[in-house]
Amino acid sequence: MITLENIKENNSFASKDQLPRKKNANKRKLPFKQRIKREWDRNAIVYIFLIPALIHFLIFQIIPFAYSFVLTFLDWKIIGDSEFVGLKNWIQFFNDDLAWKAIWNTVLFSIYYILPTMALGLILALIINLKVKFTGFFKGIFFLPVVTSFVVIAGIWGWLFGGTKSGLINYLIGLIGIDTQLFLSDSSQALIVLAGLSIFKVAGSTMIYYFAGLQSIPRELYEAARIDGASPVKIFWRITFPLLKPIHFYVLIVTTIGSFQIFDSAYLLTGGGPNHSTTTIVYYLYQQGFAGLNLSYAAVLSYALFFIILIISLIQRKYLGKEDNIY
Amino acid sequence: MRKRIGFLVLLLTLGLVLAACNSDGEETTGTGGDGDASGEITVWVHPYTGDAEAEKEMWDGIIARYNEEFPEVKVNIETIPWSNRDQKILTALAANNGPDVFYAIPDQMPQYADEGMLLELDPYLEDYDMDDFVDSALVSTTWKDKMYGLPILQEAYTFFYNADVIEAIGEDPENLPTTWEEFQAWAEKAKEKDFYALSYAGGGSMNGTLYPWIWQAGGDVITQDDEVLINSPESVEAFEFINNMYEKGYIPEDSITAMEHDALFQGGEMLAVLGSGISLTNLQAIEDFNFVIAPPLQNEEQVTYGTTGMFVVPSNSDNPDAAAEFVKVVTNADSQREFNTVTQYIPTRESAKDIFDSQEYLSQLATYTEFALPGVIHPIGRNIMPLIQAEVQTMMEGKKSPEEAADAAAELIEAELAKY
Repeated sequence: MITLENIKENNSFASKDQLPRKKNANKRKLPFKQRIKREWDRNAIVYIFLIPALIHFLIFQIIPFAYSFVLTFLDWKIIGDSEFVGLKNWIQFFNDDLAWKAIWNTVLFSIYYILPTMALGLILALIINLKVKFTGFFKGIFFLPVVTSFVVIAGIWGWLFGGTKSGLINYLIGLIGIDTQLFLSDSSQALIVLAGLSIFKVAGSTMIYYFAGLQSIPRELYEAARIDGASPVKIFWRITFPLLKPIHFYVLIVTTIGSFQIFDSAYLLTGGGPNHSTTTIVYYLYQQGFAGLNLSYAAVLSYALFFIILIISLIQRKYLGKEDNIY
Repeated sequence: MRKRIGFLVLLLTLGLVLAACNSDGEETTGTGGDGDASGEITVWVHPYTGDAEAEKEMWDGIIARYNEEFPEVKVNIETIPWSNRDQKILTALAANNGPDVFYAIPDQMPQYADEGMLLELDPYLEDYDMDDFVDSALVSTTWKDKMYGLPILQEAYTFFYNADVIEAIGEDPENLPTTWEEFQAWAEKAKEKDFYALSYAGGGSMNGTLYPWIWQAGGDVITQDDEVLINSPESVEAFEFINNMYEKGYIPEDSITAMEHDALFQGGEMLAVLGSGISLTNLQAIEDFNFVIAPPLQNEEQVTYGTTGMFVVPSNSDNPDAAAEFVKVVTNADSQREFNTVTQYIPTRESAKDIFDSQEYLSQLATYTEFALPGVIHPIGRNIMPLIQAEVQTMMEGKKSPEEAADAAAELIEAELAKY
């Protein structure tokens, strides 16, 4: 987070700089030392405050990020000399069926997860935006899973979706005559149940974003629509929904990234099974890196994940992010 | 723009200089520690119980015992939480900043030893009494005929029966099944009375599911000489046995990915559960729960799974002599008595097992460690486990026959071997 703010800060100062620079175009060829001095005189305090954050960013973000790319070309031994193996790890990745299955599982997971999370978050936000009694209470209830430890939530979820006839959901659907379902033990259901867990866990925070978005929509628009005789449904689809576009975009990016990084639920509830059907890319990466000690190969997987998230974010930006300016 | 880049470069250099200073400072501690043991060692242990105070007292006692022999060495005990212990150890060792002694589990040892990360202990063990160790405990400390650690604790997994369920199915708790056939007969009776017969944590480690059955059938997963035996006729028999148990409903429907079935067992819906010392503690905490412990089953052989905990020395220890001597002291009979009295695990030395003389159940469990294998001792042991697990799950889902699943698992193991 610090880093993002830093970049913004940097940019804003940069754009201020541009004005005097244009004015003094004839003075541009000052010697390097003097230029440094002038910059220092002007913005010294900014740099002084930035230095600790940048050093931290450098040591804990940039260097590991760059070094893990180097790792992908090595057979990295934890102790002792590493061996340069060229593209071996990358070639292994392209021939690794399990890695591609893990990526596909992750894509499937996003499909099950992203839209329902957004929809549920929006619906919850609309409910607490109604300003009926006990709004604050419901806000708290809806937000509770977000602040509860994931391990606890996962434990409850696993208990609800127990695959025997004594599991609570199985008991309930048994009452209306549906057969006992295996849920987490069925390779066609397990991923959906895990997506349900994530939706349950995250919808509360999406709700808060949407709630903030709803608050910022000007009242006049609603008044005008009502005067024109628009129905509540029409008001929602014509005013509320489109004006929430920046929130949609933000929530979409955040949930997409989140969905590609999903790990805990598979680790806690299914161990990646049955038959790898809940092995997501991060779970596979973890297995390769920390259980199998193939840290170089794990680095390849992490770069694959990085490129996937990067490409998706760029696509989303191109098609959704441009019209930030809604008013 | 150029101005800003200039400053960025400046900052980058500054960062690097700072980083360099840092590593320079630590370089000086690299020497020392040949010949007489002196200096300092750091030992990484874990919270083995919930009682930190009792453990601290125990470690103080063990350090005092060590300092009687090596008064020059200062021992720092650091208690590392269990979670993500592998990452912590790996990152610390990679940074050359790790412990001099750490606690390791069986599937870690061959993997680390094979990467050259562990110190060979044989030179330190020439006139050391090894006969007192339970044979099965040394299986997990040995890799390619070399000793890389000394064991401190063992467990033995075996069946815990619910005595009330045994009576409900009309059997005798004094006369428990000892073979696969006898167990199957009981399971059938339990099923008729609408009980599950056995727990099966198919989402957990294969050490608690397929492997013990394979060993009991006389098969193996993979030998230390890279021979893949998982689709041998004996091993296939284990696949068939599990498949049969699932098809007949002896094990619960969710066994494919279940992590545990304790609730079903403790709720009186299950005949037997595969458990060890922890299960014992849990069951003893429940009021009016009648249970009996059975010896490990036998088909071709009487074996079961039981982990071994050991202390090892990383090869980049700054003080290998003092560290190796510490491993010897911490696993001697007196230290084992002290350690296992506090942690309630089973000592790996026969002579230290006397601590359980007055405890009926623990002394019974202690006699089973001689049958307890520590898992697949092979550097790829951890890599192949999820692959085998997936094949067993496919079999249980009815998509592969036991034989197909075993063959597919063998193929995957061969592929892993080729990679390693």
